[in-house]
Amino acid sequence: MNFLRGVMGGQSAGPQHTEAETIQKLCDRVASSTLLDDRRNAVRALKSLSKKYRLEVGIQAMEHLIHVLQTDRSDSEIIGYALDTLYNIISNDEEEEVDDVEEENSTRQSEDLGSQFTEIFIKQPENVTLLLTLLEEFDFHVRWPGVKLLTSLLKQLGPQVQQIILVSPMGVSRLMDLLADSREVIRNDGVLLLQALTRSNGAIQKIVAFENAFERLLDIITEEGNSDGGIVVEDCLILLQNLLKNNNSNQNFFKEGSYIQRMKPWFDVGDENSGWSAQKVTNLHVMLQLVRVLVSPTNPPGATSSCQKAMFQCGLLQQLCTILMATGVPADILTETINTVSEVIRGYQVNQDYFASVNAPSNPPRPAIVVLLMSMVNERQPFVLRCAVLYCFQCFLYKNQKGQGEIVSTLLPSTIDATGNSVSAGQLLCGGLFSTDSLSNWCAAVALAHALQENATQKEQLLRVQLATSIGNPPVSLLQQCTNILSQGDKIDRRGSKIQTRVGLLMLLCTWLSNCPIAVTHFLHNSANVPFLTGQIAENLGEEEQLVQGLCALLLGISIYFNDNSLESYMKEKLKQLIEKRIGKENFIEKLGFISKHELYSRASQKPQPNFPSPEYMIFDHEFTKLVKELEGVITKAIYKSSEEDKKEEEVKKTLEQHDSIVTHYKNMIREQDLQLEELKQQISTLKCQNEQLQTAVTQQVSQIQQHKDQYNLLKVQLGKDNPHPGSYSDATQVNGIQPEEVGRLREEIEELKSNQELLQSLLAEKDSLIENLKSSQSSAGTNELSSATASAQDSEQIAELRQELATLKAQLNSQSVEITKLQTEKQELLQKTETFAKPAPASGESEAVAAAKTADAEGRLSALLQETKDLKNEIKALSEERTAIKEQLDASNSTIAILQNEKNKLEVDVTDSKREQDDLLVLLADQDQKIFSLKNKLKELGHPVEEEDELESGDQDDEEDEDEDDGKDQGHI
Amino acid sequence: MTYAYLFKYIIIGDTGVGKSCLLLQFTDKRFQPVHDLTIGVEFGARMVNIDGKQIKLQIWDTAGQESFRSITRSYYRGAAGALLVYDITRRETFNHLTSWLEDARQHSSSNMVIMLIGNKSDLESRRDVKREEGEAFAREHGLIFMETSAKTACNVEEAFINTAKEIYRKIQQGLFDVHNEANGIKIGPQQCISTSVGPSASQRSSSEIGSNSGCC
Ligand SMILES: Nc1nc2c(ncn2[C@@H]2O[C@H](COP(=O)(O)OP(=O)(O)O)[C@@H](O)[C@H]2O)c(=O)[nH]1
Ligand SMILES: [Mg+2]
Repeated sequence: MNFLRGVMGGQSAGPQHTEAETIQKLCDRVASSTLLDDRRNAVRALKSLSKKYRLEVGIQAMEHLIHVLQTDRSDSEIIGYALDTLYNIISNDEEEEVDDVEEENSTRQSEDLGSQFTEIFIKQPENVTLLLTLLEEFDFHVRWPGVKLLTSLLKQLGPQVQQIILVSPMGVSRLMDLLADSREVIRNDGVLLLQALTRSNGAIQKIVAFENAFERLLDIITEEGNSDGGIVVEDCLILLQNLLKNNNSNQNFFKEGSYIQRMKPWFDVGDENSGWSAQKVTNLHVMLQLVRVLVSPTNPPGATSSCQKAMFQCGLLQQLCTILMATGVPADILTETINTVSEVIRGYQVNQDYFASVNAPSNPPRPAIVVLLMSMVNERQPFVLRCAVLYCFQCFLYKNQKGQGEIVSTLLPSTIDATGNSVSAGQLLCGGLFSTDSLSNWCAAVALAHALQENATQKEQLLRVQLATSIGNPPVSLLQQCTNILSQGDKIDRRGSKIQTRVGLLMLLCTWLSNCPIAVTHFLHNSANVPFLTGQIAENLGEEEQLVQGLCALLLGISIYFNDNSLESYMKEKLKQLIEKRIGKENFIEKLGFISKHELYSRASQKPQPNFPSPEYMIFDHEFTKLVKELEGVITKAIYKSSEEDKKEEEVKKTLEQHDSIVTHYKNMIREQDLQLEELKQQISTLKCQNEQLQTAVTQQVSQIQQHKDQYNLLKVQLGKDNPHPGSYSDATQVNGIQPEEVGRLREEIEELKSNQELLQSLLAEKDSLIENLKSSQSSAGTNELSSATASAQDSEQIAELRQELATLKAQLNSQSVEITKLQTEKQELLQKTETFAKPAPASGESEAVAAAKTADAEGRLSALLQETKDLKNEIKALSEERTAIKEQLDASNSTIAILQNEKNKLEVDVTDSKREQDDLLVLLADQDQKIFSLKNKLKELGHPVEEEDELESGDQDDEEDEDEDDGKDQGHI
Repeated sequence: MTYAYLFKYIIIGDTGVGKSCLLLQFTDKRFQPVHDLTIGVEFGARMVNIDGKQIKLQIWDTAGQESFRSITRSYYRGAAGALLVYDITRRETFNHLTSWLEDARQHSSSNMVIMLIGNKSDLESRRDVKREEGEAFAREHGLIFMETSAKTACNVEEAFINTAKEIYRKIQQGLFDVHNEANGIKIGPQQCISTSVGPSASQRSSSEIGSNSGCC
């Protein structure tokens, strides 16, 4: 009261002043005082009273406080006090702490108070909008209480306040800015505000995500040290959970934004025993749950699998498996990690395969699956952990035929490790199935049932499993052992509920026999089984036995429904008669109905996770409830059906099967034709490629021939100019006279080849379109199975057509290669003629020598010419060598088209070389000409014939030797 | 999957014009003939390549109904691009464009690229709005324009990509602050921004815009 008196200033506060009057006075001052200081002091006084006299202050001051918020915005201090006061009135947070000792009654009252004041406050939606604008104020004294007040409003009347914020322009976006506030208190309280804002409101969750909340929150978590961070990490994680849980759009955004990758470091806890503080355990727990939100079995299948994929690709799954196998991890973290790994691998083959390959770091290393199963059948392990392991095993086998096969195979005679060194999954399951702990029985039975789920092969394989019982006795089949235990169940002393063992075994048997007539036959083959079942069903037992009776009815029903009548004494009809006589149809159906009417049934049918509050609730398996749903109706129908109807159905079934086999037949045919089409397509593309290569070869040949022609012409001109001797000249003309004709012919042939090629190409195009037609007709055949027969007939026609065309194509290709060969022969001829052209040279050299004897002048000229001729001959020799090489290369190109491409390059180089050489030759010839000219002049001027004659003669001899060598070589080549 | 840039888009327009189908066609390359009413906002994403750069598009498909308008408004500020869609077989959806545009201009950053889309171009026989009218509206309001069909996929790819090209061009011109994520643009992880892309590149991209009306 001292404080109050101080606030009231000089006024004399008489003792009769009640609190209500004081508050009223303060309110009047807030409302009427023109001095800001005065108003501020009054609001401050109200604030200090607001905790103790919440109701009074709330009722009397609310409107005045709101008025202050509207009008005194320029003074952050008074706004701060007003917000604080409103917060105290509306919030229940402080109350709860204060009222620890008071009765529940009062807490409830204060909660009512909070929501009532909230209702008054938000009755004017502008008040909330006003609060939103105040939050833009940077001043700590305004922003912080503003955040707290809005959080309180949201906590009190979430949906209404959310709606107001949603429709106020940029309302949500502005609140997002709080996460960027540099003052940690505001940022952290901003996280709490956003938690309340996003609770169960998909639209707001999406806007918050759109405003980059994921990025911001993940940044904060990283900055704070991931799981080692404080409570703000936990708050951020809870906000993330709000944004992602049951929000497919946000989950998709989270995945597409590559944020899954950023979760990986969260789980980098490994073996370093840096201690496990309570906060760290909590943080990790929420982190694990966040992973589970993304891969929950209740999400759309596509969404879950794409997250599962990302979790493997970024190494998150691997990181989780490391925790799984690490030591010193607190039990509840380990349990939740197992649950998380379960859902990360569930139904996704790549992850399941990875999980199967994980080994525990024991010596020798054991598969993680085996280590986990050991815990499942170990009574000393915590119940929740055993449930988690079962879930993990179920998720590993879910839609995993490969995994199912591997588990079952560890039970088969051929693969059991005789040394007994390493314990297998199968052995552990069998051990669990027949142990004296009923929880182990149930878990092992359900686990084994999951190895058979929707897998006919494994159902049959499991029939082969034999168990060694006591020494001296013959081995007994697993199926037999299950039914044995079932029938003598009561006699064995067990820990735990006896019901669990029998329910587990019956679920396993129902799963095993459903959709598997061979297993039904095996089961019926044991003549004790049917009497046992009918006995159980017929008896009038207590309520706790009803479930077992129901399961027995289901098993008997399955034995009828999936019965292939292969056992004379237990044909469908006989079993039905038995039911009618011993149990009565109505009674049977009623007992069957006990299963789905059981109180625990619907709970189990909701979620795949075996999540039981305590061991007594461990009765139904999720997959089994699906089986019941599937079979209850059909079995009821089958029981009521008359034998005639049965027969009719049998016939229909048969025709259906026949029809099925026809369809399968056509499907196979279509598949084969598809393959053929693919092959043909490939052939066509190879042919296309060959054609192209051949075309290049032809072009190459044309250009080479042209080159040769040019060379010859050049040589001819050169020789004609320098050698006026008629004999040799006419020889040359003769040779060259033939050449243009040859080339012309070759050209024609090339033209022909080209047009052939064009023809081939058009044929190819035709074929391509034909394949397109075939493809489309095939796909339409695929969609309509009934029309597949005609469609495939059409297909085969088309394929025949296609084949024929391919044959034509091949024939054409053959003729083409024949023509190419012809072309080559002709080229060879051409080469030979070139040879003949080369030979006359020595002859002309000889005649020159005779002429030289007559005059010294002529001799000089002759010797010079001889020299020239020699050079020319060398050139010709080189050229013909080249030509030979080219010819060889062309031969090779015809045999292997692939090599041709290389050869072409080589040839190009060669041709360039020859060009260069030719150029050199021309230069040389010009040089020689010049020399001859100057020599002539010299001879004329100086006249020293004897000296030059010697030189000429020796040069001549050399020449002749060279020529002989050349001839020999040339002949060898041809 | 690294990217050079990330752009945020929104798709707006009257209900039933084919916004969700356009998104589905773009992200999943399929068409869903059954009208599935969008509640609130749905998200989709895809990577595209522009001038040899990988660009990630994050797209928010909004509900067209009036009751969701206030929710839709929350998405303008953070978007770099908007596809404003009408149905060429329903004139009223064209008539409402002005109101959509006002909303967008009021709540978005001034640089947001808006692509006007006349959808359902496959229903030529039921056409109610001429292509020229769409072109005129776009010209008048400074928008890019295209006619598309979410059913045949005609121009769908182009609509999203041309919008991205225009945003990219604006980035090159320095019109966007790429470091402010609130603009709906983000630089990819470990990317350095080269603002010195030659004028030829930006010219080419701008000249390509709008020229692609091939199949419709
Ligand atoms: N013929 C045709 N129908 C379309 C096209 N796009 C959408 N539709 C149909 O128009 C209806 C509305 O589409 P929807 O995408 O849900 O519209 P939204 O409300 O804008 O998201 C659906 O029935 C679609 O099948 C198109 O390009 N051509
Ligand atoms: Mg829609």
